[in-house]
Amino acid sequence: MTVFVPKRPRLARVVGAVAVILGLASCAVDKAPQTATAEASFSLLGEPLGEIVALRRLTEDQYRNSIADIFGPDIKVAGRFEPIVRPAHELISTGAAASTISPAGLEQFDSMGRNIAAQVMSEPNRLQFMSCVPRDAAAPDPACAAKMLVPIGRYLFRRPLTEGEVASYVKMAGDAVANNGSFHGGLELALGAMLVSPQFLYVIESAEPDPDHAGGLRLDSYSRASRLSFLLWNTTPNEALLQAAASKRLMDDAGLAEMAQRMVQSSRLEDGVRAFFADMLLFEKFAEMAKDQIVYPRFNPDVAAALPEQMLRMIVDHLVTQKGDYRDLFTSRRTFINRALGPLYQVKVSASQGWVPYEFAPGDERSGLLGQAGFLALYSHSGRSSPTLRGRAIRELLLCQPVPNPPGNVNFTAVQDVNSKLMPTARMRLDAHNSDPVCAACHKITDPLGLPLEKFDGIGASRPNENGALINTYGMFEGADFLGNVGLGKAMASSPSTTECVAGRAFQYATGRAPDEEGSTTTAIEQNFATQGYRIQALFLRVATMPEAYRIAPTPPKESVVAMAARNSSTMGLYP
Amino acid sequence: MMTRLSKGKWGIAIAALPFAALLPASTSLAETSVLAPANTALPAPPANGEMGFIVTHFAPAIYQGEQDCPDGAAASLRETYLQTVPASERIRLLDKANEQELTTRWQGYAVGPNGINICTHPDQFSRPPQRTVKGGVAQGLNLDGDEGAGDGTETCGHDNFTSPEGAAGVDNQMWRAMGCMRSWRGVDGLGGDIVHGLTQFMISGEHTQVLLLRGVDSLVNDPEVEVVYANSEDRAIIDPKQNFIPGASYTVVDNPRHRNVLRGRIVNGVLTTTRTDIRLRQTWGQGSERDIRGQRTEWDLRRGMLSLAFQPDGSLKGLAGGYQPIWNVIASASIGGVGAATVAGYDCAAMYATLKQMADGDRDPKTRQCTTISSGLAMTAIPAFINDTVPGTQVASQ
Repeated sequence: MTVFVPKRPRLARVVGAVAVILGLASCAVDKAPQTATAEASFSLLGEPLGEIVALRRLTEDQYRNSIADIFGPDIKVAGRFEPIVRPAHELISTGAAASTISPAGLEQFDSMGRNIAAQVMSEPNRLQFMSCVPRDAAAPDPACAAKMLVPIGRYLFRRPLTEGEVASYVKMAGDAVANNGSFHGGLELALGAMLVSPQFLYVIESAEPDPDHAGGLRLDSYSRASRLSFLLWNTTPNEALLQAAASKRLMDDAGLAEMAQRMVQSSRLEDGVRAFFADMLLFEKFAEMAKDQIVYPRFNPDVAAALPEQMLRMIVDHLVTQKGDYRDLFTSRRTFINRALGPLYQVKVSASQGWVPYEFAPGDERSGLLGQAGFLALYSHSGRSSPTLRGRAIRELLLCQPVPNPPGNVNFTAVQDVNSKLMPTARMRLDAHNSDPVCAACHKITDPLGLPLEKFDGIGASRPNENGALINTYGMFEGADFLGNVGLGKAMASSPSTTECVAGRAFQYATGRAPDEEGSTTTAIEQNFATQGYRIQALFLRVATMPEAYRIAPTPPKESVVAMAARNSSTMGLYP
Repeated sequence: MMTRLSKGKWGIAIAALPFAALLPASTSLAETSVLAPANTALPAPPANGEMGFIVTHFAPAIYQGEQDCPDGAAASLRETYLQTVPASERIRLLDKANEQELTTRWQGYAVGPNGINICTHPDQFSRPPQRTVKGGVAQGLNLDGDEGAGDGTETCGHDNFTSPEGAAGVDNQMWRAMGCMRSWRGVDGLGGDIVHGLTQFMISGEHTQVLLLRGVDSLVNDPEVEVVYANSEDRAIIDPKQNFIPGASYTVVDNPRHRNVLRGRIVNGVLTTTRTDIRLRQTWGQGSERDIRGQRTEWDLRRGMLSLAFQPDGSLKGLAGGYQPIWNVIASASIGGVGAATVAGYDCAAMYATLKQMADGDRDPKTRQCTTISSGLAMTAIPAFINDTVPGTQVASQ
């Protein structure tokens, strides 16, 4: 059976599958009520969706940003988001392309959607979203309902609504009036339904035939708008993007580049960069980070909350505000600090509230991303530092070099004896542990990168010694010897693996495709990255505009097409 | 006589470390004396001579002498009321079956004409003073520079205490007046509720004090040090066990009234300041659910001074002292109003009468009555980063 099937049946099947998975059969477009008689102009409505080639669930930040951009920052999003599972050694954005929503998760989305709808339709707020007054506030008014739902639906679904969708939601609003006797209550119900629709909860990428590649597809105009917006600004497309999509300007390379260039120059790129690095550096782990209060009394909830924010501020400042070289991120002495982190760093913080820039003295062991307490604390155990976890994080996250998991029968006795008088330092304990050649094989990969960071304890605070013993911070990477975090940062900055990794991650983040599937593409991105002085704007601009990122190649024939819940995107015809 | 100490008398007034208050009375305090710090263990000061501290404890200095209260603790309002009724009636009321009646009657004793209550208007009630400390040992500082009775044109005669280390001339009439109250005295080496309550205010951010030392050349001996002793609007940075975290940053308040600049010197590892009027602000409650009033009062330590010993761990421990208006001593109970009387059982009128009787400072030339009372306060501080901008500079820069 071929993957390519006629548009409407394929669309109906995909959306139907979505609806079944989400328990949202009533929202499926092929079940549009026949009695809806909206009188509004449908001039904004576009053609039916093209071939659906990918669905990526909105992340929590994307959901929140979308609501804030569409309805304003006063509308509160209250609820818990079911996490998107991160595939091993990949990005959450990759996982989002294969993320389903459990019944419990859907309940949360439903609750949030109803709550948002109630806020939007509350008396003081709804005036800014309504361009008409119902003939009777206690009776259905399809025309007026459509006047509100059509433009809002266009923002929520990131494309014009189809006629069927408009009819469905208008009828839903009208039917509700019979129950609650309120026209606005009916609109609230319809809006709540939109907010729990897969069309909103998922960024649905659809494609059209690619005239330059026979048999292949390319992302259509509205999908490109969403791609640009979520990649560069981590939010839903704004009016300018939607208009560009409507005019098909995003379908030609020049128009796409012009729009992407403008977005990259915007200060909102900070949001995109923050989201990218939060994904790349596994920031979701901060939510589950716990430290032993006996061992680290200085660690409290304020510190825990400040650690990831400090890292992101440092990254964004260096890469976006200062337009710095990505490699220098590992040697920069500039960071930000707040009152909660002052005791951990033992530095004076001038501002009582908020963050202030801070620059460490030349030669300070704190320099670079790896000297940030957030990284050091996140990749430590609850009561002790861990050269192995830190080294593994550097390998996997910053160099894209996966490290095998330890076997299940490892004897950790030596490394866990942190109060040992015979082996007072982690290096000594790891040496003893590595007397087992099975262990040593992996520790040789990780520990030479983690041991140089041993002058920082399990929450990232400086320590002059461990158990009274001097700490040896010798390390080695790619054949070069160095000492401490400063030496490690310089080694990272000079390694081609560092820049190749972030280049590959950026493409993966933009497309949801794993980098190993795109060998030649990532090489080209990396080369362009180097030519542009390793500036993040150039990297993001490249992955946002390269034609390969929008090209969908034919997929080999398969027995069946898995639409929504497919873990492996190859079943969706994504490979070039 | 209440005259300023000459340079030659520096340090004589030092009495005891505040943490002595946390030790049982039988504990030897000799090794804790600020007069004998472990100087050799003290580190060198920072190169720029600046040292910041956050005050972690500031409360009445407690010393639990065994003979302090031979007749028992100061009476609660309930007990005071019972003394006003005939013995037979007292026995009847103390019957458990009559507890409700007794409660109604003694709580009614807290209210006077026109609805005034005994804690908001203690001066409107004529009640006898409460039991006072009879012992001769207490913590505190020699505030009047006199080891005698101290009766003079500006001061009123009083008995001096001797410090736990044997230093004579300790002026702490506040402790003499209040030291037999259970809520002050505490039990078994631990201070009473007044100590815990004031400490909690520091933890919660309702009362933040900071110290900034400038021009420190040595922690052992330095003839001249500037001490900025001020409030901060910043909430304390604490760990999950509510211990202050060292190395946190605080900013001195803008209001120059609560930024006290003192002159001091360090002798044998002890920093002592010259007597200067010290004003610090305290908020009682923050308007939150634990709020009692959200009121603001001042610590008004007239001719106040500090005596703080540098500790090897970097902290400061010692005493603050000065003459407080007697109303300030009962500020907590007064703000608490009728609740302080009927729930905590404070006989605020007795407290006021006793403080008035014991007052030993700022004699009113017309009435000849002293209006302030010598006070000893225990104080500890740990290292912190203090942001301080001289108020005049702030104005100029604007």
